Amino acid sequence: MITTSRKGRVVGAALVAAALVGGLVGCSSGTSTNDSGSGKAPSGTYKFWDPYPQYDASSAWAKLIKKCGTQAGVTVKRTGYDTSDLTNKALLAGQQGTSPDILLVDNPVVSTLASAGILTSTEENGLKTGKIAKNILGAGIVDGKTYGVPIGANTLALYYNPKILKAAGVDASSITDWNSLTAALKKVKAAGKKGITFAGINTEEGSFQFLPWFWGAGADLTKLDSSKADAALSLWADWIKKGYAPNSVIQDTQTTSWQEFQTGDFAFGENGTWQKAAAAKMGAKVMTIPAQNGGAAPVPTGGEFFTIPVQKDTARYKASEKIVTCLTSTDNIVDTDNTLNYISATQAGQQAQLASDPSLKTWVDAVKVAKARTGDNLGTKYPVISQQLWGAVQKAESGAASPAAALKAAQSAVKTKLNK
Amino acid sequence: MKRRWWLTAVGIVLTAVMLFPIYWMINVSLTSASDMRKDPPNIIPINGTLHGYVQVLQHQLPFLGTSLLIGLGTVVVTLALAAPAAFSLAKLQPRGGKVLSFLLLIAQMIPAIIMAMGFYTIYVRLGLLDTVWGLIIADSTIAVPFGVLIFTAFMTGIPGELLQAARIDGASTWRTFRSVVLPVSRNSVVTVSLFAFLWAWSDFLFANTLDGGGKLKPITLGIYAYIGNNNQQWNAIMATAVVASVPAAILLILAQKYVAAGVTAGAVKD
Amino acid sequence: MMTTSSATRSARHHRAGAASTAPAPGMPARSPRAARRRAHLTAWAFIAPVVIYLVLFYAYPLYKNIDLSIRHYTVRSFIDGTAPYVGFQNFVSVMSSSTFWPSIINTTIFVFVSIAFQFAIGLALAVFFYKHFPLSGVLRALFLVPWLLPLLVSASTWSWMLNSDSGIVNSFLEAFGIGQINWLTSPSWSLTAVLIANIWIGIPFNLVIMYSGLQGISADVHEAAAIDGANGWQRFWRVTFPLLRPVTAITLLLGFVYTLKVFDIIWIMTRGGPADSSTTLAIWAYQLGFGSLLPDFSSAAAVGNLLILIAVIFGLMYARMQRRLDLS
Repeated sequence: MITTSRKGRVVGAALVAAALVGGLVGCSSGTSTNDSGSGKAPSGTYKFWDPYPQYDASSAWAKLIKKCGTQAGVTVKRTGYDTSDLTNKALLAGQQGTSPDILLVDNPVVSTLASAGILTSTEENGLKTGKIAKNILGAGIVDGKTYGVPIGANTLALYYNPKILKAAGVDASSITDWNSLTAALKKVKAAGKKGITFAGINTEEGSFQFLPWFWGAGADLTKLDSSKADAALSLWADWIKKGYAPNSVIQDTQTTSWQEFQTGDFAFGENGTWQKAAAAKMGAKVMTIPAQNGGAAPVPTGGEFFTIPVQKDTARYKASEKIVTCLTSTDNIVDTDNTLNYISATQAGQQAQLASDPSLKTWVDAVKVAKARTGDNLGTKYPVISQQLWGAVQKAESGAASPAAALKAAQSAVKTKLNK
Repeated sequence: MKRRWWLTAVGIVLTAVMLFPIYWMINVSLTSASDMRKDPPNIIPINGTLHGYVQVLQHQLPFLGTSLLIGLGTVVVTLALAAPAAFSLAKLQPRGGKVLSFLLLIAQMIPAIIMAMGFYTIYVRLGLLDTVWGLIIADSTIAVPFGVLIFTAFMTGIPGELLQAARIDGASTWRTFRSVVLPVSRNSVVTVSLFAFLWAWSDFLFANTLDGGGKLKPITLGIYAYIGNNNQQWNAIMATAVVASVPAAILLILAQKYVAAGVTAGAVKD
Repeated sequence: MMTTSSATRSARHHRAGAASTAPAPGMPARSPRAARRRAHLTAWAFIAPVVIYLVLFYAYPLYKNIDLSIRHYTVRSFIDGTAPYVGFQNFVSVMSSSTFWPSIINTTIFVFVSIAFQFAIGLALAVFFYKHFPLSGVLRALFLVPWLLPLLVSASTWSWMLNSDSGIVNSFLEAFGIGQINWLTSPSWSLTAVLIANIWIGIPFNLVIMYSGLQGISADVHEAAAIDGANGWQRFWRVTFPLLRPVTAITLLLGFVYTLKVFDIIWIMTRGGPADSSTTLAIWAYQLGFGSLLPDFSSAAAVGNLLILIAVIFGLMYARMQRRLDLS
């Protein structure tokens, strides 16, 4: 009896282990599978991933997706993820063959995902891009093929607090270039208020916020160590040194920078389209970011792209394309862009937005001259450059290195990495 | 007697200093958006807002339930795996026991992100992505090696007489384990359970990587509802944290009486 | 650990090799070899689940990570799995990067300073709370509350508190006449800032373990020392602390292993900046893999493996020391 029970124990333990593993498979909550539609009409559940976790199932956005899904004859399962996680999730899913059917990602990521081979081009998925503004579509074009369509665009401008400017004796319309802006900051500081806040953190947000100044000096992303780039970085570094910009910009995200502006102590805050409602509430106005020697500085496009990842069953692209087209149809897209506080990417959409809210003119004009970060055929070179750029910006901001030295180190790092 | 109250006073001051960041968290959770970056900051939330809490109570409560489920599940799995293994290592001298102990130590050295990426691949094949069970197993990997360590150290100290007595009475090894060893190890069981529960409760990395975005989310992911792509609502985030801390804090205060790992050999309390 | 109080029982011990099942009286005796084999099988049956668990959930991710580090993965080859084998090239390029030495130095400082303070403060608090004054139980439980918070929240709270302009810590310092310290934005202070936050988070763990270690020391020992005329301080250093050596050893080792892996706190507070001043190996690995728009998984895996290697070396040193202690 002892022998049997002992052997039984051994077997029993092994069974428990096996059951543990096996039972787990059975307990799966049955995530949606990609049905291979043998019939012509698409059916089943389609996965939709977007970077808007702030919108839950009861939001207008979620309801719109549901509606478009029904129109295409399928059920859509939508999940919102944090935007910085979405790239990795997309890559992991792509590796395992569990990509979503529709993926909405931040525009500079599109070229990375496209060169990983997990996105379909418009040739494969049938999306139409004719009506979309070329400068906004640029981020989705890799090697001549288009891999996504924009949901809309947002960009940066300089919000300002008219009360503070008035009290300091600064005329907002006199700010046309860098010198006049710095002079204004000097006056504001003398009047006892704070000058300007922006996001100088060592992430993509930092690069995003630095680009208007970088491009405004005429610098080029392929040459980080040019004297023009030095001029731009020195502008920021000097502001911090002289106290026109607070030290906290070195770790500020766009949100925390905006929170500083919202305290009402700052004259200027560089921020994006999405804050226009909050700005209006606090009585702030907006102007275009000045270039070094006058005129509007080129600004980078923000905003996400609809992409259709590669699937084993290519018959699924039809329904995905229908859903994306439905979501980007003029009526739907204007509603969506107004909710997100983006500017529409098509002429018709922009007209409709202007018709209902003429104050959007500054933004529409800004978007018209905006540039894609991965444009100019930078593609997957951009992330490498951007990472070195934000590192150099932080070094100069914190005084760890002079702007020239930091940029030189950044450029040589870019060269090394791109040649690997 | 007076000296004792003096100690209490010192204790209160020390606790207050230690918990000051918690107070600050509560302060932020009640701060309105426009005061978030006020310089100097408000020590008490003047012009406070309950907006964050309103949102949390409206949306986050189901997630607390999921977190509780995952926490309890992790405790069960951890105990089920760690206690028998530790008993064997401590008392049954299996061949290769020392190697196993060392491997369990190495297992704790693998950074969590590497584990998470590996799990993703395994889970996709096993169909465990976005399941409560998947998270339970992932979270247990944080606790099991530690649990084996604590249990082994404790069970090594159980006098052999107890086990021999059971053996003489005809009990099998399993019976001995169940009826003699486990009851005696009550304190270390509570300790390991507490650690396992807390680690699972506050886990974010595994939940984030292995979550398919279904309705069942732990509270740590629920926080993400307030981290939009361009805007973050800090008062709601902190409010979520405060609300999430309450059940775990209650558990802590109830369990602290039993937490005595007896990590040194020879500490058999009963 | 094995009792040798009875001669008959010790004879059986010898045969079975451990406190494994021996035939109860009245049962037919088995041959010693069969009994030993059964004993080993039983012992292994108890361990089997954990072994399977280890292989499935630890060995596999580790294997994948090693694979990532010895091949050259681009985003494309990550997806289609066609990465070429490159031997140690990733390790070489990682070790010749300009971030390598700063991250090694930062990791060393971060780990050793963290453990020193966490342990010392945890031990001091454990001794303090062991005095069992009124409310000591409740206060001790409250000390564990920082542990409950998700690291996202703790780290964010500390970021908030250490903000250069709107942080409460600087307001407090300014009230005392000390100037503004740029905790998170100055290369000279960023490592200190994350150290403070990490020490704060690590105190509860050390407190719990050391407290239970103190409970394991019998009260008789303390009494005997007191009778011999030792005062409190002497009692602690000459009697209590040496008895705590095994607990101390395991606490320090676990502290080392866990602190080496610390990631969330530093990432959320400073992201390793500014200028790599708070970049540790764990942060660097994440930066390479997930910190930019274009993941470099091979380099990230190489740094990750270096981290594990360092931890393993220390683990081996601990095992060697343990063996020497056991033999002495």
